Amino acid sequence: MGDGTKESKESYEGREEYEMSILDRVSDRLIDGLAVFINLFKKDWRRRNQSKIQEWKLMAYALNRSPPALLGLVIVVAYIIFGIVGPYLASWPYDFFPVMYNSTSRLAAPGSNVFLNVTMVKNWHVIHYTTTVHYPIGSDLFGRDLLSVLLAGARTALVLDVFIIMIGPTFGIMLGLIAGYHGGAVDETIMRITDMFLAFPGLILAIALSAVLPGRIQNFLNYHAFAQTLVLKLFALQPRDVNNLGKLLAVFVALIIVWWPGYTRITRGSTLTERENLYVEAARAIGLPSRTIMFRHILPNIIGPILVMITMDFGNVILTEAGLSFLGLGAVPPIPDWGNLINQGAQYFPQAWWLVAFPGIVIVTVVLGWNLLGDGLRDILDPRTRRSMEFKVKKKRGAEGGESNA
Amino acid sequence: MAGLGKFLVRRGLTFVPTLIGVTLIVFIIAYVIPANPVRAWAGGEKATQAAVELIKAEYHLNQPWYDQYTFLIRGLFTNSLLDPLNQVPVFTNIGNRFVVTFQLALFAFFFVVLIGLPLGIISALKRNSITDMILRILALVFISTPIYVMAYLFIWVFFIHWNLTTLAGIPPAPPHQITHIPVIDSILTLNWGSFMEQVHRYWLPGFTLGIAAAGVLMRFTRNSFLEAYSRDSTLFLKAKGVPKSRLYRHVLKNALVPVITILALQFGGLLAGTPITETIFNLPGIGLYALQSVMYLDFPALIGVTFLYAIVFVTANLVADILYALVDPRVRF
Repeated sequence: MGDGTKESKESYEGREEYEMSILDRVSDRLIDGLAVFINLFKKDWRRRNQSKIQEWKLMAYALNRSPPALLGLVIVVAYIIFGIVGPYLASWPYDFFPVMYNSTSRLAAPGSNVFLNVTMVKNWHVIHYTTTVHYPIGSDLFGRDLLSVLLAGARTALVLDVFIIMIGPTFGIMLGLIAGYHGGAVDETIMRITDMFLAFPGLILAIALSAVLPGRIQNFLNYHAFAQTLVLKLFALQPRDVNNLGKLLAVFVALIIVWWPGYTRITRGSTLTERENLYVEAARAIGLPSRTIMFRHILPNIIGPILVMITMDFGNVILTEAGLSFLGLGAVPPIPDWGNLINQGAQYFPQAWWLVAFPGIVIVTVVLGWNLLGDGLRDILDPRTRRSMEFKVKKKRGAEGGESNA
Repeated sequence: MAGLGKFLVRRGLTFVPTLIGVTLIVFIIAYVIPANPVRAWAGGEKATQAAVELIKAEYHLNQPWYDQYTFLIRGLFTNSLLDPLNQVPVFTNIGNRFVVTFQLALFAFFFVVLIGLPLGIISALKRNSITDMILRILALVFISTPIYVMAYLFIWVFFIHWNLTTLAGIPPAPPHQITHIPVIDSILTLNWGSFMEQVHRYWLPGFTLGIAAAGVLMRFTRNSFLEAYSRDSTLFLKAKGVPKSRLYRHVLKNALVPVITILALQFGGLLAGTPITETIFNLPGIGLYALQSVMYLDFPALIGVTFLYAIVFVTANLVADILYALVDPRVRF
């Protein structure tokens, strides 16, 4: 909206000297490393893309100078790491229900210990053992350790998040490019369909879809063993939860269907203005296929605002997904899910406040992280910010060079 | 205002296909449903075959899909389509509930304007200061907090601790009805007792619903203000030596143009964004009705509700466009 550049300009101009911080050196190293890595696969890539690498470094400098964006980045990286290794860090498996062995473990308060006398069947043997479960932040309705479920739930959230954003917006951007570039009847058709999807609230559509779809998806999974194993592996679930996957994936499909129209509209808008540029005409004149022009030439030039939107939507997907689980759609109990924990806690509020509070804090933190990062990206991706950075870097280098010469 | 009539005609022409499309989408969703809704409507597993057949004939469920669709749409327009769960015409049901949702959205809107606008302006006036930083992060927190977490936090603070609201029942409407929206009626008839009752019941759900939208409005106002501030006209005023308070008044006028249009869109969004709030606060509004119709496979009701939502959204868009033309005379359609 123009404010970012203005204020960042002011703050950079306010700073006379441009000091390289530790973060800058680290980010320089990282980007150089990345360049060397790509160079292994693409010959001569590094030399030919020197200016691109320089741009990346400048972007990193801009990021390093914006504490909120850095905070967002830290949260996001933590979220991704926990999403990948979370299920293995959990001290108790998500499908172990202590409430079956000791009913006091149900909704146990934070900090309490519960003694369990476990009798279970494993590999056709009945085994007995005793154990004590410690609940640092309380337990849920099934006596599961809340911390473990939260850690395991990070995987569910991350997988849904990443795949929904990978599919929905990509589809929307492609449609928007096609509509904007070709215009005419194609444009009209695509945009009328988009308008229909935009004309009613995403939440209601998602609710309707996630109520209707589970049966069909479950059927599909039951007939396709490969898909089944793949999904179980992705979500780090045990094979016996296979019959609960239908509802989880229904939310996934529903959110993809809800998530593309916004991108179609914004991409079409910027494509319409971008295609009037001379370089597009030149590309057309030398006979490049429309596909190349759209995806290689126009898309990189309009991707900035879309990237910001995607970053913020990573957070919004989490919010909506947890909202659906809160309403009882989507993930069902043995499957670890943040929204579902709050749904459980809501029935016992305020006695079991921890079931609302801790998952709530986790969701707020992650969504805030994505939003902070997106907000920061808006400045970082702005070419004007980079030019002012570049100016300062060169000034500094020039000053240093002058000193060493003298 | 040039060409407004033409624009309205064009809008009207695209409005009908959009409505048909929206209802078709919902219809397709309902049509592919694997479960048998009729049995549920007839009263579960114990329903006799005769009753099931009767219902099937009544809702044209044994006819081809286009016949089912036209039956539903015709039923909606003549308000003869009965909600299978309570045998009341769908739009009568919706009308009763819409009052609740509309009032909730009004309260939410009040808080959106009350919180979002001033804080956004303050944040813009004090740009790049600590206040600004705090307010911006606050806006992001508002946006990032799921509405149900916010709702339970507020219930804990305002209901359990301080008991400033009530969560049960709906206060009766004032005896003399003009607009059929209780809170407006009670203001118009100067019935303060009734007004306080309505406020007592609705302020917390409205506050909860409005807070995320307030965050959005804060950010939007700030951006819009800074954009207006960086115009050449501001530079000219500065050069002329206009005092700061008058300078800001000029900037504010320019900045509020886009803000007014976003407010119209936000009101539409508030009307549509109520399912979770209504569930938590036990308000029998449209959102809850939509949720229940999904849960009970009550598709006539669902189609009616989505029809209404589509009308609300398209109208909100239209109002935003018209407002834009009203406040900014340079806009041509």
